[in-house]
Amino acid sequence: MQNRPTAAELLESLAELLEDTLLPALPPGLQHRARVGANLARILGREVQLGPEAARREADLLAAVPEGDEEALWQALTEVVRADLAIAKPGYDSWEGE
Amino acid sequence: MSADPSAGLAAVLAETYGSPVRVTGLEFLSAGARRRNVAFTAEIEGQGSRPLVATIVPPAVEIMTVDAEAAVRELARAHGVPVPALVAVCADAARIGEPFLVSERIDGETVPRRVLRLIDATGNAETVARQWGAAMGALHAIDPASAPEALPAAGPDPAADALAEAEKGVRTLLSDRPVFAMALRWLERRLPAPPPRTALLHTDLRNGNIIVAPDGLAAVLDWEGAQRNGDPMRDVAWPALRMWRFRNDDKEFGGFADRDTFVRGYEEAGGVFDVDRFRWWKVMGTLSWGVGLAGQAAAHLDGTVRDIVMAASGRRVSEIEWDLLMQIRPSSISPGTKA
Repeated sequence: MQNRPTAAELLESLAELLEDTLLPALPPGLQHRARVGANLARILGREVQLGPEAARREADLLAAVPEGDEEALWQALTEVVRADLAIAKPGYDSWEGE
Repeated sequence: MSADPSAGLAAVLAETYGSPVRVTGLEFLSAGARRRNVAFTAEIEGQGSRPLVATIVPPAVEIMTVDAEAAVRELARAHGVPVPALVAVCADAARIGEPFLVSERIDGETVPRRVLRLIDATGNAETVARQWGAAMGALHAIDPASAPEALPAAGPDPAADALAEAEKGVRTLLSDRPVFAMALRWLERRLPAPPPRTALLHTDLRNGNIIVAPDGLAAVLDWEGAQRNGDPMRDVAWPALRMWRFRNDDKEFGGFADRDTFVRGYEEAGGVFDVDRFRWWKVMGTLSWGVGLAGQAAAHLDGTVRDIVMAASGRRVSEIEWDLLMQIRPSSISPGTKA
């Protein structure tokens, strides 16, 4: 068992390092990459917390779709992608239009 | 490109104007590995000064020769599409190190978020939306046979070709993603026949490739992707993708225009809108973008382009999956129903 900080806590620290400490000191040409790095650290932080449950749920949802039922498959995939977005891009699923 | 293209630009423009030219106020508008835009002022002896922009095209990223790009721009301009007037075209890489085009400089915003802020501040969303649709309508009204032959041409069945390409991309990069498989089935079932009338396409006429000024749409930029004999609905669908809305998701076109307003401008300028074909190309464009993102992640993973931004693209594929699902929603399930 690792000591604290936990993985999620360390990833948040890493995001803060990149975004708050290093980014302002970087030349403009490198700032975007630091921002992307911070965002990835936060994605991983959420994955550590939500990933295992999301993976279990994905397997259950897809297993419950009757063979050849495209409507049920659409419903299940919508739930699966909602869970993926909760990790990769929280809030993106609030827009349900085209 | 030489570090300072001033001398080379001045020499080429002296030939254009038939008088000595001094290049001042050089400002790089966009950096990076792709095309570079450089704003400057040409002080022409005996003819005053002119604000200009040079578009410099490194051969490594050239997808269309500067001569072909110049020809399609002039054709579009002659048919009422707002395009900055060309001042000079130089295919000779010896002059400043790389081929380039020089255009008159048009004032206004091009960066999408700044475009949205300007439109918000001036309250001219409706005007710009119609002008934008009209610009595309005027482009599509051009007889495709008059397009420069140097432009790449679509095949006789553009939708079938795009679908075959997408299937290949999904098979290679996203074969384990059921949303992409479902979207491909949707596209296969609804594959449209070849377009009744083909058109000269821009292929990237989105928010980001237009100049917007306080009094409306000022210009359409970036013609390097122009294509002959394409399906006009491909062109109309592309700027309607969610990624070009910059968080203003309820405004389908560019985050400031609704479909009806854009289409009204399009049809007034001679375009013919086909909603089924439009929806098909919109799903196709979304899916292709997803394949592109997966391709960037793959390029990172195999070491071709080892870059954190490319790695991050892989995790953006979920956004595309959501956009696909929302567009291929079964008709029996209405939006807002808890899935």
